Amino acid sequence: MYKSTGFISFVLRRFTGVALVLYLFMHIWVIGGANSGAETFNDRMEFLGSPLFRIAEIGLLAAVIYHAFDGIRLLIVHYFDVTEYRKSLFYAAFVVSVILTIAGGLPILLHALEG
Amino acid sequence: MTNKKITVRIQRFNPDTDQKPYLQDFEVELAQGMTILDALHLIKEDLDGSVTFRRSCRHAICGSCAMNVNGQNMLVCETPLREKIDKNGQITIRPLPYLPIIKDLVVDRSSFWAQYQRVKPWLIPPDNVPEKEFRMSAEEVAALNDAEHCIMCGACYSACQVIALNKQYIGPHALLKAFLRVLDPRDADPRARLDDLDKGDGVYRCHTIFNCIDACPKGLNPTKAIETLRKLAMKRQAFEAARKERQKTLDKPVN
Repeated sequence: MYKSTGFISFVLRRFTGVALVLYLFMHIWVIGGANSGAETFNDRMEFLGSPLFRIAEIGLLAAVIYHAFDGIRLLIVHYFDVTEYRKSLFYAAFVVSVILTIAGGLPILLHALEG
Repeated sequence: MTNKKITVRIQRFNPDTDQKPYLQDFEVELAQGMTILDALHLIKEDLDGSVTFRRSCRHAICGSCAMNVNGQNMLVCETPLREKIDKNGQITIRPLPYLPIIKDLVVDRSSFWAQYQRVKPWLIPPDNVPEKEFRMSAEEVAALNDAEHCIMCGACYSACQVIALNKQYIGPHALLKAFLRVLDPRDADPRARLDDLDKGDGVYRCHTIFNCIDACPKGLNPTKAIETLRKLAMKRQAFEAARKERQKTLDKPVN
């Protein structure tokens, strides 16, 4: 294993990407419930209303934000000659993702704890 | 005054007797100005003659002695031993990662050379070779970005995460060489080169992990070369036309 910031970003990018695809299947399952009538849809929504899934939503938020900012970082690398700032760019994308995840995750967490 | 003793951990593997690689410790006295290669020589000469490694010039130009020291690829002949000792007084030397091990620190570089051959690393001269020398401008030389300084040590190739997963990928070393030939104003066939690089296992297979830049002992930048090749591959028709135009005046002095 050749450890570097590039390797960490490579692994995180793949990990979050696969997680988002798996989420998409669940999303389609819930929304697709509307085809079988309001009752099915409500049942499925209720299943996802449990505190466990509420907290899992924070993970979803983190995955979406990190994957998006990593994509922006890669666009910058592709279109501008910035290879010497490769480590700073990774840290910037990571720190921004962490801050936004905390900012967005805190309300979700409080809401989940309330009930 | 006695010199400080340090522990050199070397990954050993003899395919005839060993199931899998293991680390062996050697005690070495740290002398002034000692390189990692000096320590390996000392071990081979005084402690265990069966330790196997490649080396040749000892001046960081032959590219034989690239190894993985404390998790980073480098040329052991140019790296001072003192710099790489960790706080436990240890240094760990392994062969280049992701390549088949032949014995101890020697790896099989067949795929490395096969990919190198694939990009046709030689210059394809134009039809009208000038009677005297080719004339290039300073900008044209600067655009090559020192790519000709590559010594083919394999440090970037074996650091590449894509190579670890897919040996069909051309690899940073060969793409850097392709970059050197494509941007060389003397080369007559940049179009065919770019056509080959444009395939699925070519420039677009790079995931910009930047390990090649970190690993290169010559401070070269294969990632930047790959990014340049990507852009040229997209406009290769215009690039080919510009090259043809440029080659008409290759024998004349530039500004």
